[in-house]
Amino acid sequence: MKTSNDVQQEKNTSPKKTRVKIPRQPMPEQDPRRRRYNFEEVPRGYSEETAMLEASRCIQCKKPGCVAGCPVNINIPAFIKLIAEGRFVDALLKLKEQTALPAVCGRVCPQETQCEAQCILGKKGEPVAIGRLERFAADYARRHGHVPDPVKATATGRRVAVIGSGPAGITVAGELARWGHEVVVYEALHLAGGVLMYGIPQFRLPKEIVQYEIKALQRLGVKILTDYVIGKSETVPQLLRQGFDAVFIATGAGLPVFLGIPGENAIGVFSANEFLTRANLMRAIDFPHFATSPIRPRRAVTVGGGNVAMDAARTALRLGSESTIVYRRSKAEMPARAEEVHHAEEEGVVFHLLTNPVQILFDARNRVTGVECLRMELGEPDASGRRRPMPVKGSEFVVPADTVIVAIGNQPNPLVPQTSPEITTSRWGTIIADSETMMTSMPGVFAGGDIVSGAATVISAMGQGKKAACAMHRYLTGQEPPQL
Amino acid sequence: MGIVSLTINGRPVEVEAGTTVLEAARTAGINIPTICAHKDLNPYGSCRMCIVEIEGVRGYPTSCTTPVAPGMRVTTESERLATLRNRTLELMFSGHPNSCLVCLHREACEQYRPQAVKAARSTRCGFCANRDECDLRAMALRAGSKELDLPTLYGSYTLERNDPFMDRDYNLCVLCGRCWRICEKIHGQPAISIINRGKWARIGTAFSQSHLYSGCTFCGACIDICPTGTLTDRFARWHGKPDREIASTCLLCSEGCSIISQSKQGQLLANVMIGFDRTDSLCALGRFAYAQIVNTGLRLIRPMEREGEDLIPTDWEAALETAAARLLTAKKKTATVISETITREERFLYKELTRCLGGELFVLQSSENEDNAVAAALAAAVQKGDIQALIVNGALLPAAVVEQIPFVLAIDCLPSEISRLATVVLPAAILSETEGSFRTSSGVIKNIAAASVAPGYARPEWSILCDLGRAMKFDGFSFQTAAEVGDLISDDPAPEIFAGNPRHNVRELPLRFRGHDLVDIVPALDAFSPLHSVKAAQIEETADGGFPILEKKEIVPNMHFYKIHAPQVAGFAQPGQFVILMARETSERSPFTLVDWNKEEGWISLVIEEVGRSSRELASLQTGGRIAHVSGPLGMPLTIERKGTVLLGGGCYGIGAIYPLARALHQAGNRVICAIEASSSYLLYQQAELQEVCDELLVATKDGSAGVRGGVQEILSWVAGQEPIHQFIAIGCTFMMRMVTELSRTLKIPTLVALNPIMVDGTGMCGACRVSIDKTTRFACIDGPIFDGHGVDWDELASRRSAYARQEVEALSQQVDLNELVLRPAGESCGCGGH
Repeated sequence: MKTSNDVQQEKNTSPKKTRVKIPRQPMPEQDPRRRRYNFEEVPRGYSEETAMLEASRCIQCKKPGCVAGCPVNINIPAFIKLIAEGRFVDALLKLKEQTALPAVCGRVCPQETQCEAQCILGKKGEPVAIGRLERFAADYARRHGHVPDPVKATATGRRVAVIGSGPAGITVAGELARWGHEVVVYEALHLAGGVLMYGIPQFRLPKEIVQYEIKALQRLGVKILTDYVIGKSETVPQLLRQGFDAVFIATGAGLPVFLGIPGENAIGVFSANEFLTRANLMRAIDFPHFATSPIRPRRAVTVGGGNVAMDAARTALRLGSESTIVYRRSKAEMPARAEEVHHAEEEGVVFHLLTNPVQILFDARNRVTGVECLRMELGEPDASGRRRPMPVKGSEFVVPADTVIVAIGNQPNPLVPQTSPEITTSRWGTIIADSETMMTSMPGVFAGGDIVSGAATVISAMGQGKKAACAMHRYLTGQEPPQL
Repeated sequence: MGIVSLTINGRPVEVEAGTTVLEAARTAGINIPTICAHKDLNPYGSCRMCIVEIEGVRGYPTSCTTPVAPGMRVTTESERLATLRNRTLELMFSGHPNSCLVCLHREACEQYRPQAVKAARSTRCGFCANRDECDLRAMALRAGSKELDLPTLYGSYTLERNDPFMDRDYNLCVLCGRCWRICEKIHGQPAISIINRGKWARIGTAFSQSHLYSGCTFCGACIDICPTGTLTDRFARWHGKPDREIASTCLLCSEGCSIISQSKQGQLLANVMIGFDRTDSLCALGRFAYAQIVNTGLRLIRPMEREGEDLIPTDWEAALETAAARLLTAKKKTATVISETITREERFLYKELTRCLGGELFVLQSSENEDNAVAAALAAAVQKGDIQALIVNGALLPAAVVEQIPFVLAIDCLPSEISRLATVVLPAAILSETEGSFRTSSGVIKNIAAASVAPGYARPEWSILCDLGRAMKFDGFSFQTAAEVGDLISDDPAPEIFAGNPRHNVRELPLRFRGHDLVDIVPALDAFSPLHSVKAAQIEETADGGFPILEKKEIVPNMHFYKIHAPQVAGFAQPGQFVILMARETSERSPFTLVDWNKEEGWISLVIEEVGRSSRELASLQTGGRIAHVSGPLGMPLTIERKGTVLLGGGCYGIGAIYPLARALHQAGNRVICAIEASSSYLLYQQAELQEVCDELLVATKDGSAGVRGGVQEILSWVAGQEPIHQFIAIGCTFMMRMVTELSRTLKIPTLVALNPIMVDGTGMCGACRVSIDKTTRFACIDGPIFDGHGVDWDELASRRSAYARQEVEALSQQVDLNELVLRPAGESCGCGGH
């Protein structure tokens, strides 16, 4: 492979031809044998040289498919061009025009199914590493202390309440604040960030980055009230009566689903939410400096095949445990990102595929001793289009475990919908919102993120937030959002 | 000295002249109860438990202070003596919390709670760290008395936590004087003594200063000789009774003091003295820091090998193979630098290994840091390229020297600059985890016994060195045990005498172990470092954020009342709801039931019992301070309806928690009876406030010192016999709620309980708080906390509440409240008794 210096020189001579020959730059990663024992971030990020080299691969399409593939419509060719030119801070400013959280999105977005899937280079070879470049621009500016001055439209005099400070809430708050509205964010937990703080582990998304982005939001003038449980204190109608012109509900999918099998209340069975919240938000990994009791698995079994399951299984590994994933379908049906599954495998997570837990075994002290599982085989496709797993009779076997982490999904958190009967919900408890405007059945009340879509991804929540912010601006001012 | 013959209880006994009657009786196998007497202390005669009758002697002399005389006729058991002793015991107990001993439900409670609850002050045996080793309790249980005629006079002394290693709760002290007498015996001039007079008499330091400034050397003898839970080792305190004791030798300096290592389930809890003599005494490190060094979470636990910039975890075989190959390349250009704080066997093997390589061995004293004479000498050799490999077993050299050496093998227990620079890192088992022998600076060879299990993949150095030697195909490394190595050592020199005298001066403690700064491992040791820097805890504290505490007071021991400005809670709170608090940014999220609130003024009030680290952090906050986080109101409120007669039962924090329910139910037109229970009268609170919002207030205490003797269940069955109860609601500990719901079931009274499982977020997000109600899983935070008491799976709740018992003990024992270590130059009074 060419080194960055070689290419730099070549680039000066014959730009376009050599450009296509540059391979996609690999992401330097922490060695899996080392990282399985620490909570440091796995990918280490591009160096300046690598980033410029990778950026130079972009052919600057006239009709870029990548922008269409991005849920928040980032002007991808433009920011990449700036990186290629070494204008890293300008690249960040370009990103910031469309996304409040570039450092986060660059890390946790499934680019392979979004922007990068549309990249023209990907048709014949490998797409431009858009996500890695986005991350680079954000990290560069942060590390070098370049704090972009917030660009804001003139004040509109409108007040907006945002309930929840996860990806959807932050996006709405950021956009509306930039467009001149007064925004108050209500967060029930003690730190803002929602799933970015409690759910996604440190090794995938360092918490310092989330807090940095939150601070940027505050610099924009967004007021964040933590420890504030809307639904238990004010209800949504009360917020409107208190002088808010619009409300955005982004309370997420924070109600863990359990398996409903015997033994599930034994000590050592956790929802992935609890397991991850202890480790991430409560920083039990820094016990006893932080007071929250850590979970100390020796043999952890994680049930589920999504990104959350991978996060939990890899966290268990880092806490010094053997770590096994039990998933009832095959690898092809796993909803987790391929990269996450690959990372988990690399680190030594063991996968029991086509396996379904039927009961959790525990001892006289009510502590988990194992999971009794059943082998499955794939039958006809079900409603989701995935082949339905069918149990193989008599195939019971026991996976020994002292910790079982249930990561089979989350339902919408009921606290807000429960106390605002004016807002129509579906039979799954999600809030029904207009797919274009994200407005709920209650005028002036919008909703987005997992509370609308059910458990999904960070970027889809941000995409909905983006959509909602535009609609809310129109609702509040009767005009299109300003171009800043 | 002649032999004296006497009779005790009619049995002829012959002992040497000068023996006390007590000793004579014990020689004859006759048991006389004692508290203040101790075999290693001079007779004192203060507790008066050991009284006997001696023919011809007036009154009831104490056998511990009465020497035998020829022909003496002693009676140790009589009705009169039994009465007097019981009276003495009662007097002693009137100044010592005793409600558990006389509680009607003691057996059931102890079965339910096999370990003592970690409270701040011990207001009863159930809250006492020393519960299983208390002489007083053992005596009372033997006496079998379930009645006490005298009221309990609780001392209300503040818990003393202002020194590095000990907690002192003088509310438990019975003034037996063992502590100051052993202090005097060992140190000549005692650091503690009886101060004040009459009923104010207590144990203390001169001018009530912190023990840091009292001349105390922290030998721990007073803790180990205390017959009650008054004096305790903060680290070992809540781990309970050790399951193993083994004689060994301290390795922290060349003095090599003899120790008894106490461990539980393979974990070292403490080292104690082998006896109670002057020569047996230990320094603060040997007594207190040892266990914390061994148990620190910082330990190296797996072998690692360098690949580029990173140290990659690997297995023993691979790491040893690399090390062997690299050492064989360097051969005589190998330097071995070791600390003397290892066993003789290990030292011998380091010497042998270095000899086989043809290299040079340097041994450093325990107190030396990385700037030492050896380092200076090595630096020159390194410069010249004479050293190609380094074997080092601690942070014993400056990084600048080490990074110039091509191959570095670190065999160590803790990470340091050196292990970060090393090529191969091998985790070593240390101190109580290894075995062998030790030659002290006075030349004596002492035994080292393994008392605890090494963490992770760490192994004793002798076995690592044997494998390394074998990997290099050297002869003479095929040992199976440390003892086999020991047999070969003949003329090893005694180490140099340790310069300081740490047993007599805490300022001369060797605050280094293998070159590592011990203050980093045992933060409490900072109190002894020359500058007493109080390394600030690296926590970003809420400066102006958080929730102001308008009022805070300890209303009864361990029970703290708070009035907090939290308008977003106060404006919406309803009876039965709770809040989640975090005292600091590093605290746990812990739920507490709301007691009262005022929407207009924006405050809420709470009653919090100090039972663990989180509530202790809250308890340390004062009026005018701030609580980092208050989140709420949370949970479903109680549905307030007109039911008729409602009985509300509250115990512990529940006395406060039933207040808003009583008020609302009373306002709704119910006849409200409040039944409150406490261990003893001095633990009752909020009676006036409750009186105002209920029709009848009934009180029960476990010791009968106020109201009915017993608990809420006694009141419930009495009231049920008087009038129909339409609704019963109980809030308190799970044991109490379980007991009362069992009774209310048989009485067929509809019962509600407010459950208290472990919670994290409190908004339904994590499911930690799930409870089984009528065999269905519910989340206490959003479906509760109030549930039908008759549907609760109490066993499940109790077990789930204990899920983190071990971590909770760890959190308390490793927590050092540096604020409490600050200098307190002036005490309260001179101790002469004047106030």
